[in-house]
Amino acid sequence: MDLIQLLALMPLLIVGGVSIVLMLLIAFVRNHALTCFVTCIGLLAAMLTSINTIGDGIIQVTPLLVMDDFTRVFCALMIGISLAASWMAYTYMEASDEIREEYYILLALAALGGCVLIASNHFASMFIGIELLSVSLFAMVGYMVHGGKSSDITLEGGVKYMIMSGVSSSFLLFGVALIYAYAGILTIDFLAAPAGATLSQGYLIVGTSMLIIGLAFKLSWVPFHMWTPDVYQGAPAPVTGFLASGAKIAVFAFLIRFLIASGPDRIDLLLAGLTIMAVLSMLLGNLMALLQSNLKRLLAYSSVAHMGYMMVALIAAIKTGNISEDVAAEAIGVYMVAYALMTLLAFAVLSRLAALNSEYETGNIEMYGGLLYRHPWMATCMFVAFLGLIGMPLTAGFIGKYYLMLAGVDQQLWTLLWVLVAGSALGLYYYLKVILVMCKESQDDAPAELETPVASGFSGVLISGLCLMVLYVGIYPTPVIDWIQLALASL
Amino acid sequence: MNLLWLIPTLPFLGFTILVLSSGRMSRERARIVGVGSVALAFLATIYIATQYYAAAAHGLDHGAGFTVSLWPWITAGSLNLNFSLYLDGLSLSMLFVITGVGALIHLYASGYMWDDPDYTRFFTYMNLFVAAMLMLVLADNLVLMFLGWEGVGLCSFLLIGFWYKDPKNGYAARKAFVVTRAGDTAFAIGLFLLFRELGSLEIQEILHLAPENFEMGGNMPTLISALLLGGAVGKSAQIPLQTWLPDAMAGPTPVSALIHAATMVTAGVYLIARCHPVFLLSPIAMTMVASIGLITLLVAGFTALNQWDIKRVLAYSTMSQIGYMFLALGVEAWDSSIFHLMTHAIFKALLFLTAGSIILAMHHEQDIRKMGGLRKQLPVPFWCFLIGSACLIALPPTSGFWSKEPILLAAWEADPIFWYGAVFGAFLTAVYTTRLMLLVFFGTPEGGIPKTHEPKGWQLHPPLIILAGLSLVAGLFNLPAADVLPHAHEHHPPLWVEITGILLPVVGIFIGWQVFLKGRWQALRMESPAFDGLRKFLASGWGFDWLYDILLVKPFMALAKANRNDIVDLVPKAVVVASSQCYYFFSRGQNGQLRFYVATMAAAAIMIISLALFT
Repeated sequence: MDLIQLLALMPLLIVGGVSIVLMLLIAFVRNHALTCFVTCIGLLAAMLTSINTIGDGIIQVTPLLVMDDFTRVFCALMIGISLAASWMAYTYMEASDEIREEYYILLALAALGGCVLIASNHFASMFIGIELLSVSLFAMVGYMVHGGKSSDITLEGGVKYMIMSGVSSSFLLFGVALIYAYAGILTIDFLAAPAGATLSQGYLIVGTSMLIIGLAFKLSWVPFHMWTPDVYQGAPAPVTGFLASGAKIAVFAFLIRFLIASGPDRIDLLLAGLTIMAVLSMLLGNLMALLQSNLKRLLAYSSVAHMGYMMVALIAAIKTGNISEDVAAEAIGVYMVAYALMTLLAFAVLSRLAALNSEYETGNIEMYGGLLYRHPWMATCMFVAFLGLIGMPLTAGFIGKYYLMLAGVDQQLWTLLWVLVAGSALGLYYYLKVILVMCKESQDDAPAELETPVASGFSGVLISGLCLMVLYVGIYPTPVIDWIQLALASL
Repeated sequence: MNLLWLIPTLPFLGFTILVLSSGRMSRERARIVGVGSVALAFLATIYIATQYYAAAAHGLDHGAGFTVSLWPWITAGSLNLNFSLYLDGLSLSMLFVITGVGALIHLYASGYMWDDPDYTRFFTYMNLFVAAMLMLVLADNLVLMFLGWEGVGLCSFLLIGFWYKDPKNGYAARKAFVVTRAGDTAFAIGLFLLFRELGSLEIQEILHLAPENFEMGGNMPTLISALLLGGAVGKSAQIPLQTWLPDAMAGPTPVSALIHAATMVTAGVYLIARCHPVFLLSPIAMTMVASIGLITLLVAGFTALNQWDIKRVLAYSTMSQIGYMFLALGVEAWDSSIFHLMTHAIFKALLFLTAGSIILAMHHEQDIRKMGGLRKQLPVPFWCFLIGSACLIALPPTSGFWSKEPILLAAWEADPIFWYGAVFGAFLTAVYTTRLMLLVFFGTPEGGIPKTHEPKGWQLHPPLIILAGLSLVAGLFNLPAADVLPHAHEHHPPLWVEITGILLPVVGIFIGWQVFLKGRWQALRMESPAFDGLRKFLASGWGFDWLYDILLVKPFMALAKANRNDIVDLVPKAVVVASSQCYYFFSRGQNGQLRFYVATMAAAAIMIISLALFT
């Protein structure tokens, strides 16, 4: 590994460095503010390095990782999400009785896992990345074990995630093994291998299927979504935010890279299965959110539905054949950015409110009655997030959904589009229901809240910033589109 | 000409100021704005008229108009509509009627309504009405005209229901709105057809294109004319859409004078006159116009004879007079029709306003049985009412005579049947007008001559006197509309026809005088119980309300009642039920049990792999 490769790898090195620095720091000083500050600065530096090196060409670092514009753009997004997750965690942690500092180490490790996954073009690094991400998340999901009433559900969420993640990893690993048995190499462009196939095609088909199933679990595609609501509900709000945006985006980014490298005609075989999963995700995700009374569960089902929406573009991309130059891959990219922004915004508001009263996180939606009058700015930001998730024009969600429709129409996926429309219509109901509850006249039994909220100004900056970004991307999406095109062009 | 836009803008500005003040303005200021805006519009009309005549004197073709384009309004495909005004003799005549008579009525109303708590609201509506009515007559295309058409309908609705606290008034307003809406719908469909057939909605273009594209007597011009006629019939309260007008008398009396006598109800006449080249292409439509006019004037005349409410008598008389205008249109006496429109606007406004004065003096009593012998106590209203009645009866040399006589002659030319009907209508007019006059101002009612009080406010009498003077001399005016409309052919009916036309009203007066004052020929009053049924039938306006109630209102209400739970709603409801059932079904799978989750994953994995292998 020479200096050029080392420099190219800099964003990942910085993220990894952050976790080591934090570990050493905590050994000497336990200071929450300092820990959070170091994390944020480190992640910011990593993100800026990643953005700065865009356009530096494709650099293969060891056989495992490739640093191209695709990696850099999505790493920047991934690290940005982690930054937001640590930012929003500060207020949340400050209000809790938990030991706070180790959370940031785990977050930095998860971010590193995500970046490795995005950068991997080898099954080994893919597995390292995905496991690094998941193992960190097990601990993060179950982080609030001392949190009083809700500790049971937190622990339950963590354990469930760990076991089921294990099951899915076994699928993933077995799939990789079958592919290796067929192709004889472990790079993701295995079909280009000179050795050629000696075993029957069946190895490849079953192997790819199992690989996709492993990823489908991470992406909560129906029917591999069962863990989602339980884990989302159990995890602390900032972790849920990270889980819903960061973890999903890293996996989706790898999926795009894998599709392009392996050649879409191989995946053709999976089209029927993918279509079924897309339809089920869109319908079931929305249907099960319909009468949901816990906001975090509701957002879990909503994320299932949104993953389903993104599958429409994914299927369109596979049908096109020429993925990297197509509008479908672009649609996935743009939707990922929009979805990450909206989800983070929703969870940032949720974390902030949970710091005031943990009932906001664990309790019924009715808790939010009259929020508009108690916390007008928080409620407004939540409106923006929900309107974005609905796909209202002038928010990022509209641009994303518009792109998805465009990709679907391009490939004439009429069934999927009808389901997408029906799903969005169903979605309207439960998103608007939450907004309606927030607009209700303040009731008498307004929940008791902390008198002096901790560091609310700090998280207020993050929330306002995310809110403005959701609107900005909705009004002027060109920079995002340009970035995504740049990223795809390097594949 | 460039200032033409001022005329509708001024009342609209008045409306805007009044509506924005939202009741905070003092009465004095509201009066200045409300009356002043219309008065200024009248001055602007005079100025425009001088310009128009000056242009005409400089060799402008007679009958040609001026178009003043303000801005593009609607541009969609081949449809290009401008917000533009059109001025020719016809619209100029209407402008004079609307702003002139309108300003006088506004002045009168500023005194009449003085004690009303909603003074500002009244003038807000009135100014909006004048603006909409001016838009209607100045519109260069039919869509803009439709805007004004709907605008006056809205204001009529608002003003009939002005005293909304009495549910009866609200009902009357609703009835007027719904019934005219039937006509408006026909009008709108007519517009669509015109656009489909001719590809234009500019009035002047249509009038040029229609004779070129439609064959004489073809189905299309008949259909279009009939639809436009439907709109006209609704607005002008002609049979079969006449039932709303008597109930519309629930509004304040100045409203009845302005909207339901002088201006809005004549919009139908204006529409047909404006579109006469289209109507001329269809002899059937022309006969329909004439017949509707004739039937209405007779039906309304008979009904007026049996009314006891002073305003309802006048309302039926308005219907009947507009019937004359329709008859004139139908027999191609275009200019006579518009002439009668103008004189009628003046003398009927006079009659209504005088009736308003009487009602005020009688402490809001409208029943003529309780009046009588008022001529000594109310000298000014008496003389004004007398002049107005003379015009209505069409006694020479009042303006009513000059405008009605040509209609009768033209009717003779077209078909003697029309003449017989019209001249009998004139006789009826004389009888019911005499009856009204005598019952109000002469004789003594059972309870003795009622006590009256002098209404306050100097604004009440000048408009009456001016209108009375105009009623007498309006017959001498040279109507600018005559240049626009085709000239009626020279009338040469036999002498006896002319003499009968003049004499029959006099006979009517004589009979009325004998019956209602001298008490002779009491059988003609039909007061014996044997005539009860007939009297009721006539008094109810020939049972049209009853008929519509059975044919339309009741079935509709029954249908609405039967469909209370809205059949169409079942579909969305089904979606709701289906979705929530799905929710419950799928939620059951989300049972929180790890073993079930993992089993589902395994099963799903098997399914996905088999799909990949075996497809």
